Amino acid sequence: MELLSPLSLAWLGLLAPLVLLYVLKRRRERRIVGSTLLWEAALRDLRAERPWQRLRPHLSLLLQALVLIAGALALARPTGAGQVPAGARLAVVVDVSSSMAAREDGQTRLERATGLARGLARDLPPGGAMMLVAAGAEAEVLAAPTSDRVRLEAALDRLRVRGPGADLEAAVALAAERLRDAPAGSRVVVFTDAAIAGTLVLDATVPVEVRPIGEALSNHAILALDVRAHPSEEISDRADVFVRLARFGEGRGEVRVRASIEGGRELAARRLTLEAGEPTGLVLSAELPPDGSARGALVRVELETVGGDDPFPLDDVAAAPSPAARRLPVFLVGDAPPAVTRVLSADREVELFATSLARLAERGADAPPLDGLFVYAGPTPEAAPPGDSLVVAPTGDAVFGVGLGAPVARPTLVSWEEGDPRLRFVRFADVHLGAIRPIEGGSARALLTTDAGPAIASLSRPDGETTLVAFDPADGDWTSRPDFVVFFRNVLERARERRAAGGIAPGALGAPLRVPAPDGARVGVTTPSGRALAGTSRGGVAVIDVPAEPGVFVARVGERERFALRNLTDAEESDLSPRAVFSRRGGAGGVATVEPVEHREAWPFLVGAVLALLAIEVLWGTRKGAAA
Amino acid sequence: MSLLDPGFLRRLARLRLVARRRFAGASAGARRSTRRGSSAEFADHRPYYPGDDVRRIDWNAYARLEELVLRLFVAEEDLSLYLLVDTSASLGEPREKLDVAKHVAAGLGYVALTGSDRVSVWPFADRLRAPSAPVRGKKRVGTLLRTLDALAPSGETDLARAVDELCARRPRPGLVAVISDFLDPAGYQRPIDRLLAERHEPVLLHVVHPEELDPTPGGDFVLVDAERGTSLEVSLDERSLRAYRARVRAFLDELTAFAKRRGLYYGRVSTAEDFETTLLRYLGAAPRAGQA
Repeated sequence: MELLSPLSLAWLGLLAPLVLLYVLKRRRERRIVGSTLLWEAALRDLRAERPWQRLRPHLSLLLQALVLIAGALALARPTGAGQVPAGARLAVVVDVSSSMAAREDGQTRLERATGLARGLARDLPPGGAMMLVAAGAEAEVLAAPTSDRVRLEAALDRLRVRGPGADLEAAVALAAERLRDAPAGSRVVVFTDAAIAGTLVLDATVPVEVRPIGEALSNHAILALDVRAHPSEEISDRADVFVRLARFGEGRGEVRVRASIEGGRELAARRLTLEAGEPTGLVLSAELPPDGSARGALVRVELETVGGDDPFPLDDVAAAPSPAARRLPVFLVGDAPPAVTRVLSADREVELFATSLARLAERGADAPPLDGLFVYAGPTPEAAPPGDSLVVAPTGDAVFGVGLGAPVARPTLVSWEEGDPRLRFVRFADVHLGAIRPIEGGSARALLTTDAGPAIASLSRPDGETTLVAFDPADGDWTSRPDFVVFFRNVLERARERRAAGGIAPGALGAPLRVPAPDGARVGVTTPSGRALAGTSRGGVAVIDVPAEPGVFVARVGERERFALRNLTDAEESDLSPRAVFSRRGGAGGVATVEPVEHREAWPFLVGAVLALLAIEVLWGTRKGAAA
Repeated sequence: MSLLDPGFLRRLARLRLVARRRFAGASAGARRSTRRGSSAEFADHRPYYPGDDVRRIDWNAYARLEELVLRLFVAEEDLSLYLLVDTSASLGEPREKLDVAKHVAAGLGYVALTGSDRVSVWPFADRLRAPSAPVRGKKRVGTLLRTLDALAPSGETDLARAVDELCARRPRPGLVAVISDFLDPAGYQRPIDRLLAERHEPVLLHVVHPEELDPTPGGDFVLVDAERGTSLEVSLDERSLRAYRARVRAFLDELTAFAKRRGLYYGRVSTAEDFETTLLRYLGAAPRAGQA
C-alpha cells in the first residue's frame, strides 16, 4: 500500500496527546455503595458548572481516536501498490493488437486494460501526470503527459482494438523517451495480454512494469481463406473454397464451418473436430456465378464453436472474392491496334465489349455505371471515367489533363519502373519504338522513360487509375516480344485486383478505410455488423475509422458501391496464450511483471468508517445522555 | 445484634403503639374505629331499616319522637400494621442499614403485637417478596422476629411496583411502615400517594448511613452501584463532596417536605445511632400527631 499524500499522516500526531491523557488516567479504588443515584446527580451538577472535565476511559474516547486515525489515513490517500508518487509521471502503454479483443469474464482484454488504465488516471496524485500510448502495429501517442483527467479519459475512450501486431518495444521506447527527464518514481506501465511469441526487449531509462491481462484461452480460428475456380463440364462456375482452421490451446474442439455468399445464400457447411496444434485444411465446393453486373460474389466463411462460446470472434469470420470476381469487363473504345485487341481477347477472364465515344455519350445519366476497364484507342473523353482505364496511342493533345508532346521518332529508351506491378517481368531492353508523344505534366508518374520524355505513365485519381501508353505499340518491334503480352496482362491483372478489392486499398483488420472519393464527397460505410459510419473526402480520399470487424465493409460514394475485405487470419493473434518474454537490453535489471490490480483509493472506505464511527458515537452519546 | 435480644425486648414492652389515626378493623381491639360498633361508647343515631338488629333500637327515642332509630356505638377494633421493609441490595451496603431496618421493624411489630394489633411483614425490592401471614398477640412475637431475621438484601428497588402489588391484595387499611433508604430511581412519591389513596397511613422511616450523608473526604474511587452494577468514577475532593452534600441535602429536604405536605410521619433512622431512640421518638410523636 502506498500513500499518495503521506504528509497528511502528521494528523496522527494528535493521537499522542489523546492517548496520553488516556494513559495518564488515575488509578482508582473500586468501592461498592448502596446507590450511585445521588453521586450521578452531583457529578452532573459539576459538569454543568465547569467547562473542563477529567478525561476518563470512555467509549467516546476510543471512537474519537478511531475517527481521528481514519480521517488522517483518508487524507493521506492510501492506495494499492503501483501508485505514482506525488509529482511523478506515468506512461501507460496499452496493447491494442487484435488478440486484445478476446473476451474473458464478460469483457474484452482491452476493456479490462482500459479500466485499469482509467483507474491509474483517476488515482493520479497531485502534480502527477500520465501519458497514454496505444501499442498496435505502430505506436501511437493518444495523450501526451498531462494531469488533465478529462483529456486522459477522452484518450482512453479512443482506445480500440487494431489489426495484428503490437510493437510494444517501440511503444515503450516512445513512452520512455517522454519520461527521460521525469522525476524519480516515474515509470512505464504496460498492459498487454503478452500473446506475442519471442522475447521483447523493453529498453527504457525508467522502470517498466508489465501488467499481464488475460490468461491462456482455447480458441478456434480461420487461418486462411481462398476461393479458386474449379470448373467442370457441367458447371462452369464451380469453385472450391479452401479454408485452413486451427485450434489453439489444449485438447480438441468441435466446430461448424459455414460458407455463404456475402449477404446471400449458404454455399456449404461442414462440421469437424479440431485438435490443438494440428491445423486442418477444409475444401468446400460451391457454384459461384457472377451477379447481374458481372461482378463476382464475395464469399463469407464463418466458424462456430459447437457447444461453447469462442472467446475470440475476430478470427471466426473471413471473406474472400470468388473466382467470378476475376472476370473483368473491358470496354474497348475506338479502333485499337490488332495486337492490342488480340492480347485483350486472349485473356479468358476478360469480357471484351467494343464501343465508341459516341455510343458512350448516348447513355443516359440514369444508366447504370459501367464497371470495368476502359481501353481507349485514339481519341479520349475529356474526363476520365470512374475506375481504371488504359489509353493506347492517343490522338489528342491531352489525356485526362495530361499534355502530350509532338511525336518523336525512334526515341531511346532510358529507364522503366521495374517495381510497378504493371511492369512485372517486363523488360524494355533491345525494344525499339517507332514514335512516341512525350507525356507532359507533373501529375503523371512515368513508367517508361525515353530520352524524349515519358512514353508510358500512370495517372492516379481518387476514383481510379489510368495507364497511358503514348505511342502505337504496333509501330516498332515491341508487339513481337513476349514483354508486350506480359505488360497488357499485368494491366488487366491490376485492374482485376483493384476491382475485386472494391477499389479500396487493402488494409489490416481495424485499420481505417481509405475510400477514394471526390473532394468534399460524403462517404457512407456499412460495417460487417451493419453499423453505419460516415466521413467526408479530403484530398480525394475519405478516411473512415472503422472497428476491428472481419468481413466485408461496403462504402458508398454517390451511387457507386465499393467493397473492402478485412480478415484477421493471423495465427500469432489467434493464439491467445501469454507467451512473450520481457527483458531489458543486456538482460540487466529485468522487467517487473505485476499482476494487474484494480486501483481504488481507500479514502472513500475510510470516510465511510469515519461516518459510521461518528454515528455510533452520537448514538451512544445520546442514549447515555437520555439514560442520565 | 439479634432481634431476640432480651434487653431490647424488655424496653419495647414498656411502649405502647399508638396510631395517629383511627382505622377500621375486622375485629374488636384496643383502638377506636371509624366504623360504628358494639362498644359502650355512644356515637350517633340513624333511622331504622328493616333487617337491622332490633336490639339496637333506641326505645327511649321512639317514645319521644315516635320514630324507630338505632343507637350507634364506636367500635373498638384492632390495628393492622404492615411492615414494608426494603430488602434491596442498597440496604446491604453497608450491611448495617438492613440490620437497623430489621430492628426498627421488629420494634414496631413487637409493640403492635403486645397491643393486640395485627402485624404482617412485606419485604420488597424490585417487587413485593413473600409477605408473611398477619399475626396477632404477644405470643407471635417469635414468629415475627424470625421472619424479619431471615431477610437478606438483593435486587433493585422498585417501591412503586411493591406498593401496587400490596394494594392488589386489598389488605385492610392500616398503618404501613415504609422502612427504606428511598433511593429508588423511579421515585417514592407515587407509591406513597397510592397508599394514601388506598386509605392506609404510611409512616416513612428513612434508613441512612453516615457515610452516605457525609462521605469521608479524599481518594479516587470507582463507585459501583450495588443494585444496578453501574460504576462511576468519583474523586472525593472538596468540590465533589460539596456537590454531593448539596444533593443529599436536597434529597432529604424533599423527602421531609413531601411527608409534611401529606401529614405523614417521617423519621430518619441512622445506623450511627441507637435505633431504639428513633423508635421511641416515633412512638412518642404518634399520639400528638394522631390527636391533631
